[in-house]
Amino acid sequence: MSLDPITIEIIHSSLKSIADESYIALMKSAYSQNIKERCDHSTAIVDVKGRLVAQAHNAIPIHIASMIGLMECLLRERPIEDMKPGDIFVANDPHVAGGTHLPDVNLATPIFSGGEVIGFVCNIAHHADIGGMAVGSMAGGMSEIYQEGLRIPLVKLFDAGKLNEDLFNLILLNVRLPRERKGDYNAQFAATRLAERRMQDLLDNYGASQLTAAFDEIIERTEMRMRKAVSEVPDGVYSFDDVMDNDGLKASNIKIALKVAIKGDQASFDFDGTDPQVPGNINVPFNGTQASVCYAMKALLDPEVPNNHGVINSFAITAPKGSLVNCVFPASVASRAHTSQRIIDVILGAMAEPLPEKTVAAANGANTSAIFAGKNPDTGEGYLYFETLGGGMGARYAKDGKDGVQVHVTNTSNLPVEAIEMEYPLRVESYGLVQDSGGAGRHRGGMSLERVVRPLGHTCIFTGVGERFENAPWGLDGGIEGGTGSFTHIKSDGSEDLLHPKEMDKDIPAEELVAIRTPGAGGYGSPALRSKEALQEDLESGKYTADYLQKHYGDR
Amino acid sequence: MSWCIAVDIGGTFTDFYAVEPSTGRAHVFKRPSTPHDPSEALIDGLRETAETYGIPLDQVEALAHGTTVATNTLIQRRGAPVALITTEGFRDLLEIGRQIRPHVYDLQIDQPEPLVPRKWRLDQPERIGGKGEIVRALDKVALRALCQKIKGSDRQAVAVCFLFSFFNPKHEQQAAKIIEEELPDLAKSISCQVQPEFREYERLSTTVLNAYLQPAVGDYMDKLQSKAKELVGTARISICQSSGGLMSVEEATDFPVRTALSGPAAGAMGASAVAKQSGLRNVITLDMGGTSADVALIKDAQPAISYNRDVAGFPVRLPSIDINTVGAGGGSIAWIDSDGLLKVGPQSAGAVPGPACYSKGGTEATVSDANLFLGRLPIGGLLGGSMAMDRDKAAKAIEKLAQELGLSTERTAFGILEIVNANMVRALRAVSVERGYDPRDFALMPFGGAGALHATDVAVELGMKTVLIPKHPGILCAQGLLDAPLAKDFVATLRLPLSEENLGSIEEKAKALKASAADWLLANDVPENSQSLNLTADLRYKGQNFELSISLGEVDTQLPPLAEIRSRFYQAHEVAYGYSTEDDQLEVVNIRIHAKGQILPQIAVPELAANADIAAAQRGTIAIWYSHEEPTEAPIYWRDDLGAGAVITGAARFEQLDSTSIVPPNSRTTVDPYGNLIVEILS
Repeated sequence: MSLDPITIEIIHSSLKSIADESYIALMKSAYSQNIKERCDHSTAIVDVKGRLVAQAHNAIPIHIASMIGLMECLLRERPIEDMKPGDIFVANDPHVAGGTHLPDVNLATPIFSGGEVIGFVCNIAHHADIGGMAVGSMAGGMSEIYQEGLRIPLVKLFDAGKLNEDLFNLILLNVRLPRERKGDYNAQFAATRLAERRMQDLLDNYGASQLTAAFDEIIERTEMRMRKAVSEVPDGVYSFDDVMDNDGLKASNIKIALKVAIKGDQASFDFDGTDPQVPGNINVPFNGTQASVCYAMKALLDPEVPNNHGVINSFAITAPKGSLVNCVFPASVASRAHTSQRIIDVILGAMAEPLPEKTVAAANGANTSAIFAGKNPDTGEGYLYFETLGGGMGARYAKDGKDGVQVHVTNTSNLPVEAIEMEYPLRVESYGLVQDSGGAGRHRGGMSLERVVRPLGHTCIFTGVGERFENAPWGLDGGIEGGTGSFTHIKSDGSEDLLHPKEMDKDIPAEELVAIRTPGAGGYGSPALRSKEALQEDLESGKYTADYLQKHYGDR
Repeated sequence: MSWCIAVDIGGTFTDFYAVEPSTGRAHVFKRPSTPHDPSEALIDGLRETAETYGIPLDQVEALAHGTTVATNTLIQRRGAPVALITTEGFRDLLEIGRQIRPHVYDLQIDQPEPLVPRKWRLDQPERIGGKGEIVRALDKVALRALCQKIKGSDRQAVAVCFLFSFFNPKHEQQAAKIIEEELPDLAKSISCQVQPEFREYERLSTTVLNAYLQPAVGDYMDKLQSKAKELVGTARISICQSSGGLMSVEEATDFPVRTALSGPAAGAMGASAVAKQSGLRNVITLDMGGTSADVALIKDAQPAISYNRDVAGFPVRLPSIDINTVGAGGGSIAWIDSDGLLKVGPQSAGAVPGPACYSKGGTEATVSDANLFLGRLPIGGLLGGSMAMDRDKAAKAIEKLAQELGLSTERTAFGILEIVNANMVRALRAVSVERGYDPRDFALMPFGGAGALHATDVAVELGMKTVLIPKHPGILCAQGLLDAPLAKDFVATLRLPLSEENLGSIEEKAKALKASAADWLLANDVPENSQSLNLTADLRYKGQNFELSISLGEVDTQLPPLAEIRSRFYQAHEVAYGYSTEDDQLEVVNIRIHAKGQILPQIAVPELAANADIAAAQRGTIAIWYSHEEPTEAPIYWRDDLGAGAVITGAARFEQLDSTSIVPPNSRTTVDPYGNLIVEILS
């Protein structure tokens, strides 16, 4: 069946709108801050072959991976002819069910037309706890997937619309705050049903054959569009590598190596030479690596390209099995987002040669997380404050990097200082940009953030996960590296203790301080080429000390 | 008898709407805007309106005015140099904001540059804690030193925002006093006066915007007032706010940020008035102009209010009408994307070069070209035929796209309409479905130049059964200005558990707010019998980070019983979020008093004479394309010649001075007693 480009556009627009509405329904009906406020969830529509057709506008890049993973697993394990309307399949495990880390719980429901499955609606939500040895299931230092929480293989949680209560009880018993979790699951179910209903309306309008023909067209046209963009990249082989600081246990300076080969409209990404997977939980399942490549290439070549399988089909990706970027059982993976950020830095580094005007220098390359927990002395109740902080974004060919932002696969908001202090027995002493943290260059790197927190009237427990605390974010084309991050314990006598980049359960006595400093970002181009006006601004704004400017720019 | 005049200043035209309230006699006047000094068009236009219609200017008792001075100053970044004073350790907050990027995948797009450069963001030693306690006293010596630094610099305004000032404004008040002493000539914006609410970044951003706008808006208001004084003497001048309410010129001078989103607000107020009049009190508006379409939801004749909006990329936390804007207008350009699919907008041909059919040099196909080509727009053009349009030029522009797509010109033209309608449908779903409302429970009310061309198609897509086309879709904004009350919100943060023992504190705070509100009503000469004071509470489940506004009724009456307040919250939560639970504790974050005073006289609405004869109103027929396969022959009616009670069954085109309406074959259109068209979509 052939469709005209107007009908395809209208169907495509409807599909995106269904994904968006389902996304908002999930956000609104969820119980937890993590979904409601930080929007750590995504929704999608998938065809009967498991290919991604449309995603919500605000879907999270790395969630692409889990959805595809779940669909591969579902189509492999369950005969499609056995599926019934109202079935809901659930999974989270990265090793047997296509997930990327355990807190991300995936859902899929088949869509029927005249008794036949024509596609699926899916969603994914990051649950604030999935059990395991650490509250929040995200601390550093865990060495086996079993420590990280409940592993859910592909299970049918709803059979023809009927909830398997035994199974649901089993899942809820294994997580902290089961009431809140149940609310989040219910939100996921409701979002699925809404998407299913709206897909039925669309089927009523267009019929199955037009709709599935549109699925094919959307994916094919996106692949064509992406390949056209690839073909404009100069042919060649481009390599780059970088290292992760450590895994929080034994391994350090863990290498990610990449060779990108561009030939015509073919782009292949080979991660051969990457170090083996590590005991600590920064390993990335292959799906996650695939999602990182898709993010980076979309950002470099065509930010407006629709998010569907056409993007994924445009790239050939290989990575050694059992490596950091293609980990296997029993690798622990909770902090895989840090590694994903680094994979993206490596791709951007490799593409600096063929695409100097589009790429950016290394960003803060992390998802710097801080958790403060303890007992509120006023109420006697326990509390847990979790936050991820932005940092520098790499300098660009024609302008400076951005100061104090979330980068690449992360774009979550901060919590207001006034919210923190009214909610928790903590005081934020300062929150600002860190002087000299953006690497010098023709265009300077973005600056990092520092937040200094004081527990009031009680000893609190601090847990942090940081990266680029040792390996600074590099510059490009002569640009200087940016500042590294750190966790510092400042004692009442003024002395300072540097904490571990993957610090776990550190006691901070009342009235003492923790300074969380994120990494900055690298500069672009030789500092000698920075304009006089820009240097004047660097000095006047107070973003740089005179010493730093003297050191990197001399007497200009 | 006395007259009221509304003036709505747009980018291209300034609209005047003069009414004699006792009779409802009304006149409409339009003249080109004067962007270099908008007050010029206003004053000249007033004079011209008076001359044209013989209105004695000394009998004008009220002038209501919607201004875009603040919005334009912001968009063009032509505001004043501002110095910002913050709590020590937090001066970068203005730049960090919420630490997010505007576009996840685009490495080159950034948030807008902060309005105050870092050099002029000054740290002030002081600190108030999370319980409102003073942690560190305000260092007055240090503050005087900061003032000395500002004195003699190029700064024209000072903004002050300290942490927790919404809770305990003492430090900000002390600082304001010192700054007034040290820098008497500078404009000042203090966060506890601009918007004393929880969440420091949004409060800071709102305060800085206010300071940035003060000098420019202040100049404009001065000029307006002195010129208007000469012309209309003692008339009360009111300015439209983003919330749809009016305020005095003095208040607009002090708090210009309140006008920043007022442009489309007046339209929503006008729509509310029509909704009330027609008896269809639940409507969704579709205000489609040349470059964009604004949609808003009106429930029980009240526009929905939002407290979190952006203006020119900066967050503003002030009550404003909840309007969703989409880049879909008559001038939106149709184009083919690199994946070969047809797209429409957000790029617009604007007024120049304009759509191809305007013959002003535009060659790209726009929505207006498609409408003209498909028989939906009169060749004679709008304004009763003063600007003719060229169908051949429209056809040529569409043909170019059609060839590239391999489709017929008709299919392509119809596709342009389908796609722009789909874009508007998404915007409408955003203000309804995404807020928990079913669009099928609402009527669609189009206005603006192009709304009524698209409304019935959009309604069908959403399953809406009724379309309400107001009598004058082109001047609804100006009409809305004369229906708006003087309004102001008074807010206090409480952050207490909602419990029996705390009801006393709520009442106490409400009393304090009421006193301020009463002072304000008095200062604005609002007669007692036209005052209203409504109390609402921003409630949430403890631990949540967002609130719902729950009405507690008129001030002065007893608070509703606790169980009733709770149940109202559960209901609202159910609508907005799809669930509620009675197990969790509720928290009162803010209470607000919405103070309103009806300062403009009630306007009589003359009813249209009944006349069921439609033949006399007909002006021939036209072939209109309702599908891409074939056209339907439809009658054309001149709207002014239709009487109340007239019924038109099936396809038709209605023309009038300021807009054109299209209704489909499966519809029945009735003229109501006020001249509105009520279109029922028949299945």
